[in-house]
Amino acid sequence: SVNEVEALYELFKKLSSSIIDDGLIHKEELQLALFQTPIGSNLFLDRVFDLFDEKRNGVIEFEEFVHALNVFHPCAPLEDKIDFAFRLYDLRQTGFIEREEVKQMVIAILMESEMNLSDDLLEEIIDKTFDDADADRDGKINKEEWKAFVLRNPNLLRNMTLPHLKSVINSYFQYCTPNLVFLIDPLALSYLR
Amino acid sequence: MAGYLPFYEIDIPTLYKKRIQIEGIKKHPWFKKNYLPVKPSDEEVNLDDVRAVFDDIEDQYVSEQSVAKEGGPLMMNAFEMITLSQGLNLSSLFDRQQKLALLKFDLLRHFTSLQCISLLIMVYWLVVADMDYVKRQTRFVSRKPPRDIISSVEAVAESMGLKVHTRNYKTRLERISANKVGEFAVVLEVFEVAPSLFMADVRKASGDTLEYHKQFYKNFCTKLENIIWKPTEDVANPSVLRSLTC
Repeated sequence: SVNEVEALYELFKKLSSSIIDDGLIHKEELQLALFQTPIGSNLFLDRVFDLFDEKRNGVIEFEEFVHALNVFHPCAPLEDKIDFAFRLYDLRQTGFIEREEVKQMVIAILMESEMNLSDDLLEEIIDKTFDDADADRDGKINKEEWKAFVLRNPNLLRNMTLPHLKSVINSYFQYCTPNLVFLIDPLALSYLR
Repeated sequence: MAGYLPFYEIDIPTLYKKRIQIEGIKKHPWFKKNYLPVKPSDEEVNLDDVRAVFDDIEDQYVSEQSVAKEGGPLMMNAFEMITLSQGLNLSSLFDRQQKLALLKFDLLRHFTSLQCISLLIMVYWLVVADMDYVKRQTRFVSRKPPRDIISSVEAVAESMGLKVHTRNYKTRLERISANKVGEFAVVLEVFEVAPSLFMADVRKASGDTLEYHKQFYKNFCTKLENIIWKPTEDVANPSVLRSLTC
């Protein structure tokens, strides 16, 4: 219903006007929303922003916002969530999650709590993970290995679902209401603007 | 004009006492002029955070792979660690914390049009100083056996006047004041990240964030010095100079 779309649009409006009031979400605005400060840089924020910004024009428009958030809906297919997470962690977009990329990400998460682990400890952590995830032992995780790994460790996808989305937009997404195929209609969106 | 800066103080705690809270700013005549208040509409108290930390998180983590040998702590692989990132936690888009941050930023935008330097400094302090603590996550690493980590944590917490409640490798530290106001609680959980390498994830479960970072956490880590892992050689990295491993 229109009310529910408006609710999502309200969120978009709030985020997109927080620093630069232009109806578009800039990276600093997403940073402010996730970190409560627009200062500093974060690898994961960069990845999330890039995946939301499908058109690669440096800003997140409303259609892109909704399209990406779609994946986080509780009723969205697991396949979509697994795929999104894979693309998130495939830093250089090579189609594989390489060991170096995992190392970079582990260093980044530790930096969030200002921890600086020694190289050999980092290697220990990654060794253990790759033992588990890298089935063909080629030093990188391909899509199939990732899928199998996630199915064995479902909590890996816990940040890929936003239960809040269900209460904010219930029947908007097609997944929860199979009899109501609600696709993003550009005309409907321009009405909201 | 007054001959001295309004916020020139020798030490930070005194400077902090000089802070005006948001309510004070809202009442100030400068502020009221041309101001359209941000609607603090749905005051939904988000208990998901609290519940998730103590109740559900254990269930979420448990999978056949996760439960370690001989009832040790839960295992955490590199990707599970990565999902702890704030940058990957989009639920904060709906958070109350975030609304407060946006309000602060809104204030800053209004104040930048004023010529009054002292107000600018005041807002800067309100905005930047608070935000620095809010974004920081807290965890540490240890090579000590997990049972020792937990017992050390319990001992230190008790010495700080906190009540302790432990279940497996998760412990809740609590201080309940006489009038039940300002209850302060912290949850700490130990995970195995590699053979003989453990990580303690520490989170505030309730209470003031600033108190958690300023008064509790630094003190807590100092007392746990002997179990917290520290780098042995000096790494030629400027960020190490100011960072604590805690």
